Amino acid sequence: MTELPLFDLETRLGRLSDVDRDIGSLAAGGAGCLFATFVLFVLNSTLAVIPLIGFLAVTGYGWYAHQAETARALTFLATASTILILGLITVYVFVEALPVLQRMGVRLFGFTEPVEVFGVTLIPSVESYWSTSQHVYSLIPMIWGTFVTTLIATAIAAPLGIAAALFLAEIAPPLVRETVKPGVEILAGIPSIVYGYLGFVVLNTFLYENLEMANLGSLFLVGLVIGLMALPTVVSVADDALTSVPDAMRDGAVAMGLTEWQTMKSITLPAALSGVSAAVLLGIGRAVGETMAATVILGHSQVLPDPLQDVFDNTETLTSLIASQYGNANGLHMNALFTAGVVLFVTVLVLSIAARRIELRMDRKLGGGQ
Amino acid sequence: MTDTSSLGANAPTDTTVAENADRPQTTDRHEDTPDSWTDYAFEGEPKLSVDGLDVHYGSDQALDDISIEIPEQSVTALIGPSGCGKSTFLRCLNRMNDRIRAAEVDGTVTFEGQDIYQDGLDLVELRKRVGMVFQAPNPFPKSIRDNIAYGPRKHGTVQTDLLAKLTGRDDSDQEDEIVERSLRQAAIWEEVNDRLDDNALGLSGGQQQRLCIARCLAVDPEVILMDEPASALDPIATAKIEDLIEELAEEYTVVIVTHNMQQAARISDQTAVFLTGGRLVEYGETDQVFENPKSQRVEDYITGKFG
Amino acid sequence: MSYTAESELVVDNTSTAERLASAVVGLGLVTFVFSLVGVTQVVTAETTILGISLYDFLAGGLLLMGVGTVSLGIGSRTGVFNTSPDATPGAVTAALFGLGAFALAGLVASQSLGLGTVGWLLGATLVGGVTFAGVALAPEDIGSTLPPGVAAIGVAVAILAGIITPAFAWEPEGFSATLTGSMAIPLLLAASTLVTMWGGAKAYEGYGSKGRQTAAYLLVGINAVSIIAVLVALLLFIASKGIGPAFEGFSLVPFEWPFVTNGYSFRPEVVNGVFPAIMGTIWLVIGAVITGVPVAVAAAIFLTEYAEQGRFVGAVEIATNGLWSTPSVVYGLFGYAFLIPRLGGTTSLISGMLVLGFMLMPLCLITSREAIKAVPDEYRDASAALGVSRWETIRSVVLPAAMPGILTGVILGVGRIAGETAPILLVMAGGLRDDAPNVLGSFEFISSPPFVANDALLESAPALPYQLYATITAGVSAENAAAFGWATAFVLLVVVLSFYALGIASRLYFRRRLNA
Ligand SMILES: Nc1ncnc2c1ncn2[C@@H]1O[C@H](COP(=O)(O)OP(=O)(O)O)[C@@H](O)[C@H]1O
Ligand SMILES: [Mg+2]
Repeated sequence: MTELPLFDLETRLGRLSDVDRDIGSLAAGGAGCLFATFVLFVLNSTLAVIPLIGFLAVTGYGWYAHQAETARALTFLATASTILILGLITVYVFVEALPVLQRMGVRLFGFTEPVEVFGVTLIPSVESYWSTSQHVYSLIPMIWGTFVTTLIATAIAAPLGIAAALFLAEIAPPLVRETVKPGVEILAGIPSIVYGYLGFVVLNTFLYENLEMANLGSLFLVGLVIGLMALPTVVSVADDALTSVPDAMRDGAVAMGLTEWQTMKSITLPAALSGVSAAVLLGIGRAVGETMAATVILGHSQVLPDPLQDVFDNTETLTSLIASQYGNANGLHMNALFTAGVVLFVTVLVLSIAARRIELRMDRKLGGGQ
Repeated sequence: MTDTSSLGANAPTDTTVAENADRPQTTDRHEDTPDSWTDYAFEGEPKLSVDGLDVHYGSDQALDDISIEIPEQSVTALIGPSGCGKSTFLRCLNRMNDRIRAAEVDGTVTFEGQDIYQDGLDLVELRKRVGMVFQAPNPFPKSIRDNIAYGPRKHGTVQTDLLAKLTGRDDSDQEDEIVERSLRQAAIWEEVNDRLDDNALGLSGGQQQRLCIARCLAVDPEVILMDEPASALDPIATAKIEDLIEELAEEYTVVIVTHNMQQAARISDQTAVFLTGGRLVEYGETDQVFENPKSQRVEDYITGKFG
Repeated sequence: MSYTAESELVVDNTSTAERLASAVVGLGLVTFVFSLVGVTQVVTAETTILGISLYDFLAGGLLLMGVGTVSLGIGSRTGVFNTSPDATPGAVTAALFGLGAFALAGLVASQSLGLGTVGWLLGATLVGGVTFAGVALAPEDIGSTLPPGVAAIGVAVAILAGIITPAFAWEPEGFSATLTGSMAIPLLLAASTLVTMWGGAKAYEGYGSKGRQTAAYLLVGINAVSIIAVLVALLLFIASKGIGPAFEGFSLVPFEWPFVTNGYSFRPEVVNGVFPAIMGTIWLVIGAVITGVPVAVAAAIFLTEYAEQGRFVGAVEIATNGLWSTPSVVYGLFGYAFLIPRLGGTTSLISGMLVLGFMLMPLCLITSREAIKAVPDEYRDASAALGVSRWETIRSVVLPAAMPGILTGVILGVGRIAGETAPILLVMAGGLRDDAPNVLGSFEFISSPPFVANDALLESAPALPYQLYATITAGVSAENAAAFGWATAFVLLVVVLSFYALGIASRLYFRRRLNA
């Protein structure tokens, strides 16, 4: 394949027009129409439909006259649209969050006491954490809630999930493995609202009665439910990572007289570490972004638990804040909800990039000089 | 995979051991290969002795009634065309075939007079004493030092973990000794002694294979099984491995699979020739097998007429 | 140095020790299962077996286990049993037992003895440290049987002697929850049973590396079985609650299934159903597939067939990963800010379709790309060698070969989005309704741009997951409301898990066909 760099649209179009003027003008026309459609749609004009018809017409003609080139151009557009969509999400969520970001500044992460280091105030205090009447919005209780639930969920899903993956990939006889693995993958599909319903109707009251709790709903239960929910995903992805370790590596250890347990603990698991940690980060990402279970289980109070470590208290998570308040929010209040979205979005993006980095680095390390 | 935990006395294994009595007396079961072609008399007790070994993968027969005795402290070469069951045979000797579910082993294999397919056999102990080097180098994704010290550490021969350090039972010196000795024995010490903490995967193919041999030696086995250890290597690395094998034979019993006839002739004391169908056709002193084979088919194979 | 002498190649261990150890583990498994069920309060202290309270019964079992385990250790040390223990149980074991002892001692000191913070911290640290050092310095057989055995005996005696009763209540400082005896007893039983079984399993194999393997396999196996059991129990629970109301008034001839064919009418005499929600979900899925899948497949084709690794592909990969991991509620916010103002200004079915389409896109892109990558290059080469152009090759060779994989990805993706609630919460809403959205019948041509209008698309519509949420927000205190919720949850589960089952089955089928 000898192709020009594909990010260089200019050159591509230039080269195309060298080849065929007709294709060149078609491409220009199509691109122009599509661009106009997009701009008009963003400007919220129903006129967007007119260039859209133009684009469809150009594509239709192109498909008829120059199918190969048209197909290639369309697939390129589709590819570029992934970047466009991520860009749009970023821009629109940020823009909507902007008024409150500007208003609150660092106080978005403010406590009721000022945060001081060596007498220098880093974050001024907020009067209250979340007040829609005074338009004071600090995300600290929500960040704490998300942090605690994620921590509990990870503490459950990571060790138990990896152990179960070890069982499936390394210990279970093939017949068990071949039946249980698809089963686990199906279980990974249970929608979170179903867990939420179960948590709301059954578990909330169960814990309330048996742990003599002060209130219905707790970060503890949310973490527990999310951990359970993330388990099948972690098991399935970690199992894939373990099974992709070449058998030659295991054979090498077993032929030295190691037990299979020693082999999986000190050879297979470390060799699969990148995939396994990706599985865990995936689970964490899910936990951070999980909305419905937290929304229906929690009692929604936008203050820090008192004392802080009381995981049996109600707080709020970033996601449940949005889901529980969007209905009666407008103006600055709605903008404040978008700031929660920004924090979520950035956190999960960082996690996903970190997972990718870890994976690449591990692969390089394991790949060694080969 | 068979878990090694199922080694208890009454634990089932997925390899069935046929009662010897059930086996038909096969003095001359194969008329084309009379027993006299595979009878090889040597002094002393055999280190490994195989009698009437059959291996099936599902319905495919990979080994057909193999009987052979392997003397101590010598190099035994197994040669034959590809697919004739050499690897399968080798893997029977330390029961690595247990890890292949489809493999079904019948017959007797004894190591120092003890049937290694009997109930209650300690697989871990067997594999400690009968080490193996594989066709493709398979170092662990760890440092060179950790690769070598891995076996001794896991077997408790040396203790260097935190607890050992705390309780003053630290064997770091002894571990260093084992690492150096094994690497020297495998003729790779000079090349790696200044980078013992580098990842072993950064070594060249030939170095990796010698590292794997060193790793095997560090456990101090009595028998070393090698499955075409030089097939993936360049001529220089191959020559180094060959020299190494000859030296190892002074201390260890080496059984090596190769399909390189010159290699077998150069380094081995006795040679066994397998031919298609998983049959052992001829076994004897290497010089005799190469210069004066008893079987016409072996002669054809050795002179390159087929295979 | 090696603690064990040169080991025998063949070990004969059909012995008393082995039988005793199997008894400990067997008893442990039974006790563990009952304790776990006890945590759910399905069985309680009031449950009796042979006239004895269940917990006393289990504690009795634990006591036997503890005594058995201790004798196994002592028997091995005194040479009564033939074993091959290592020099020490290892740092990890010692540390874990040390921690356990620290926690237990801390609880006893602060709760039973009523010592202050300094007192219990000192006491607990002392006990924990001594346990750690003792286990670390002890030979393996003693170090891995005595601590669990002694703990088991202690717990059993505490329960049998009535020191911990169901009426026991411990309110840890700083937590707004109380550990009641009815929870603490089964939890303690389960924990000490697990540890004691671990010790017994080690003894079964005569300690050493094989003992550790057997013990580890036991725990890892129990973990795997428990996870599957809990998840399956959860499914069965929902089914048991939901099947009844979901099949209320069901008959085969004449075919009637009110829950699936009715709407939510607020009339007491009619069975309320989820027909509108099912239709809404179907429309959502259709819309999402139309918006998301073609773009995803096209992008996958471009990335695998045309593009070369470079900055553009790198950026697309980052974008795909980003889209893939973006929380669904953020998609909802995006739809709320971007789509709703441009599509009629209110929550609407079409916004839901588009948002779910955007979510479906990265899912399908990743799986389609894998599927296209998996098509062997020989196919492409063979086609190219015949002088077929690249696009022709893609269209007639690559895509058909990759189609099963692409389809599998689409089915799994659809399963995922069909159960999504958070995004449609923000962009579609639509609660309990009597009528289903009539999308096909609502198309109209109008004279001004955009020339077509469809009220059904521009209105909010119900969907199964949202319906379940609406049931919760409407309150489930009324008996039939909860039943309606369970039935909805059941139908939603069946719909979503069918997609998953279908997708996974097709993947297995095509993978097997490829390998065959
Ligand atoms: N894991 C396996 N499953 C099924 N058949 C196998 C397996 N390994 C080897 N075989 C078959 O057994 C025969 C002997 O193989 P092998 O011992 O590898 O021969 P060699 O090492 O002499 O080339 C071959 O026909 C091969 O196809
Ligand atoms: Mg071979």
